[in-house]
Amino acid sequence: MVRVYKYEPFDRTFVEERVAEFRDQTRRFLAGELSEDEFRPLRLRNGLYIQTHAPMLRVAIPYGMLSTPQLRMLAHIARHYDRDYGHFSTRQNIQFNWPKLEQVPDILAELATVEMHAIQTSGNCIRNVTTDHFAGVAADEIEDPRPWCELIRQWSTQHPEFNYLPRKFKIAVTGAAADRAVSAVHDIGVHLVRAADGAIGFEILCGGGLGRMPIIGKRIREWLPQGELLAYLEAILRVYNRHGRRDNIHRARIKVLVKSLGVAEFARQVEREYAANRAFAPRVGEAEIARLRASFTPPPYLALPDTDASAGAPAAFVAWYRHNTRAHKVSGYRAVFVSLKKHGEAPGDMTSAQMLGLADLADRHSFGEVRVTHDQNLVLADVPQQALATLHRSLAELGLATPNIGTLTDMIACPGLDFCSLANAGTIGVARQIHAQFDDLDYLYDLGEIQVKMSGCMNACGHHHVGHIGILGVDKRGEEWYQITLGGSASGQVSLGQVIGPSVPKAQVAATLAQIVEVYLERRQGADESFLQTVRRLGLAPFKERIYAEDAVAA
Amino acid sequence: MRKTLWRRELRADAWRYPGESGEGPPVLTLAELLHAAAQGRLGASGIAVSLGPTDDVELLAPWVERLVLIVVQFEKSGDGRGFSQAQLLRQRLGYGAELRAGGVVKRDHLYLLARCGFDAFDLEPGEDLQAALAQLARYTVAYQAAADTLVQPRRREGLAA
Repeated sequence: MVRVYKYEPFDRTFVEERVAEFRDQTRRFLAGELSEDEFRPLRLRNGLYIQTHAPMLRVAIPYGMLSTPQLRMLAHIARHYDRDYGHFSTRQNIQFNWPKLEQVPDILAELATVEMHAIQTSGNCIRNVTTDHFAGVAADEIEDPRPWCELIRQWSTQHPEFNYLPRKFKIAVTGAAADRAVSAVHDIGVHLVRAADGAIGFEILCGGGLGRMPIIGKRIREWLPQGELLAYLEAILRVYNRHGRRDNIHRARIKVLVKSLGVAEFARQVEREYAANRAFAPRVGEAEIARLRASFTPPPYLALPDTDASAGAPAAFVAWYRHNTRAHKVSGYRAVFVSLKKHGEAPGDMTSAQMLGLADLADRHSFGEVRVTHDQNLVLADVPQQALATLHRSLAELGLATPNIGTLTDMIACPGLDFCSLANAGTIGVARQIHAQFDDLDYLYDLGEIQVKMSGCMNACGHHHVGHIGILGVDKRGEEWYQITLGGSASGQVSLGQVIGPSVPKAQVAATLAQIVEVYLERRQGADESFLQTVRRLGLAPFKERIYAEDAVAA
Repeated sequence: MRKTLWRRELRADAWRYPGESGEGPPVLTLAELLHAAAQGRLGASGIAVSLGPTDDVELLAPWVERLVLIVVQFEKSGDGRGFSQAQLLRQRLGYGAELRAGGVVKRDHLYLLARCGFDAFDLEPGEDLQAALAQLARYTVAYQAAADTLVQPRRREGLAA
């Protein structure tokens, strides 16, 4: 009944053997048989970082899909091994910030009982494959991408040849016309496409990424038959594994190889490897595709009429309905966003009580399934319209109904300096500041869709380059400053934001955003012109003038 | 003398690696092998060669039948290039004799190295043979096809190679 991939004994055996291996590695480290340098690459391949305060454990949520027993297990882990909460990341995973190292093998053993793991959630290997949070329910979908995600998950799991790459490697798969998985800024973007004759295959992008060198991925193959997917991915990975740079961590991603060779030459090398490896490359048979598809069959929808659930409803419900629910391809149903962007909370954080409450609601109203989005919210994908009013009340009681999806306060933020040892600056405090500045919902609604994305350092876990407004924390002589970019976009016409000028001090971030949106409101050509459209039409000049001219006056 | 895990037993190794002195038969660098071959001086059999991480293994294709030992040198533990070199040697070049992981080889890498086709490993001094063998036997299942010389994990049906 549950629409996540169901383990067979084969999968269970593998995960249990992996847990046993990690238990042995942890024991040897604690006994002094492995040095920190020896243990690091081993623990990273199991999602375990040593962070500012404590270890951080990143648990894989394959392509963002959770069953309710899995969500309840995450709540249990938060409660018993951590400080009663978890943090959902931009890669559809969950992070626990306070586990004890010696307990991590036990946590992994508990996760295995609900068919979960932390394999390859960090380290220089193929990471969790991500996808569209509306997979299977979007009207614009060509084909459900999840069976292909699962195929890639299994193929990449402890791949013998590609477990020690030059750098981390991220793959996103989309099956719809609109890209809701930011696939263009992944190492590989896999798009299901339909040819003129109706056949469905893949288009492949490669070399996208954020971090210090943000680049939009380039198409290296226009059409790939479905059964060839893994063979082609192996060719890309082998070219990268052999020729990607290993001398400089900042030049080691595949985007640098693609850029230095040129996309045409890189694609030629991949094609040559693909052809040369024909005898040994994995091919996906029809039976295996059918087996994987069977895990993602549609739930038993009822025949329900489409109704406007908001007609005559109270204003609070109408606001939530408009902003936090989306059309569904099946009549009588809506997809519902569960907002993890409540004022006062760190974006993406969720308590164990909220997890347990949401699991019950998902069982009652959405076929026992929950999804994680790349912008750190959750989704109940299959809610009957007639259940929306009840669901809204219940979500509001849990603090999960803030009607701000798609607005400025629905921002992405990495954990920042408070938790991450890589960060230059805090993000959680700035998020609070922005929430306080923009606490008027009607004003937010008037602004329309504005995506704010914030990272605490150049590694760009908060995707700041593709925020309509991007915020990057920088360290200036020991103080936290913030560089602001405008005009980035993660979907549609993907673009990278441009820096508006010198960075601003921490106390000024929300006020600067207020200036930016004032310029937008003054200059937009009617309420239909979105923030992003206005920025693209006007360029940076009027925003710079407002922000820095006032600085000059103040000085 | 080097302690080499070959198949399932420990062997004292007599081969003389590039840069080593001593009595044993020499292991050539790739450059030395190609140079000798170009001059027609390469022996008809019993040749051993040592590869660095940037060496292109496909250059060995014409001489594969004459080789009895290829050592892939890991300058850093877990350098991924060696894994691709091994798979290419076993699969594309059809190399069937001893394929050894040399240099920095950690116990925790043995299983994946074996999956890529290595059947011999220069172990660290003090490494425990039983522990090394246990690591090779750690997994009974694997999702992918690979060269798999020493280990034979069960594969899922349906993914043809």
